[in-house]
Amino acid sequence: MSNPSTGASSKSKVGSSQPSETSFKRKRGVFQKDLQHMMYGFGDDSNPLPETVALVEDIVVEYVTDLAYKAQDIGSKRGKLSVEDFLYLIRKDTPKLNRCTELLSMQEELKQARKAFEVDEEKLGTLE
Amino acid sequence: MKQSKDPFEAALEEQEESPPDSPVGEDELNSQAPNETQNQTDGGQNILVDDDDYDDIGSNSKNPSHPSSSLTPKLHSTSINANVAAAVTNKNKEYDDDEEEENVEVELSKFPSSADPAKMAKMQTILSQFTEDQMSRYESFRRSALQKSNMRRLLVSITGSQKISLPMTIVVCGIAKMFVGELVEKARMVMTERKESGPIRPCHIREAYRRLKFEGKVPKRSVQRLFR
Repeated sequence: MSNPSTGASSKSKVGSSQPSETSFKRKRGVFQKDLQHMMYGFGDDSNPLPETVALVEDIVVEYVTDLAYKAQDIGSKRGKLSVEDFLYLIRKDTPKLNRCTELLSMQEELKQARKAFEVDEEKLGTLE
Repeated sequence: MKQSKDPFEAALEEQEESPPDSPVGEDELNSQAPNETQNQTDGGQNILVDDDDYDDIGSNSKNPSHPSSSLTPKLHSTSINANVAAAVTNKNKEYDDDEEEENVEVELSKFPSSADPAKMAKMQTILSQFTEDQMSRYESFRRSALQKSNMRRLLVSITGSQKISLPMTIVVCGIAKMFVGELVEKARMVMTERKESGPIRPCHIREAYRRLKFEGKVPKRSVQRLFR
């Protein structure tokens, strides 16, 4: 599929016809703004150098890519990709694993809270 | 849409429009560090405001009805807010004012290990002694996150499958953030070894990355990527 905008433009949702390598033609600075704050939070200068941020972004994208590939390999054995695959990949890295379980449990809690709130709102609606 | 705004800009806006902290909350902060008054109370408000993530909790700063407990749930909310890289969709913003009260109770009662009062007390004593600089850095640390939408786009393009669940995005954003942390910390270590100072330069990051690879913390690709 010749898609002239794919080359320089941001990552489009890559159809399965395109090999995954071409998806790396992406706009620079996808995560740039967030990364600047994050790097400051982790110990860098309040204004990190732009080349540093670009490099970190590249590294992070590569990291996520590798992680996702490996997860996909694992997931393909049982059918589809799931969160468990990612958790399995970081099982050796205890801080990350704990953090992820914490995030997931928090998300569950919030979902419950939101659901409970919606029920309450209905009750309020019917009372009024 | 809030997600596209810089979190610090959003924080500044919300700081201007939100009512000041309840007197008790303010006094607690003020008594410990008089010269950092402005920044700490702002920080206290700002910590909750996170436009990316849970906007419902984020508006806790606008809720003056929990003065005495305001500090504690703020810390909880912070840990939920800032570090949770995945947001529930924006439509939940409309439930802001009512839901946050519920969330406060939820957090206080059901929260896992971090609800440990000793740990919380320790955190509070540490936080109260932060300098302005440290506070702003800590705030950045808590509130920064990779955007879920961007991450989702990236994952879709990698896997080729459209079905990327929300928990998966959340988890990957969290993992990526911690990875950035490892990189930056190791780069700082490299800098101290080389006795350099100032902003981190790419050479430090590269050295840090090399060391992380050596330690095995970076997944190795089994097949070399030939075409970029």
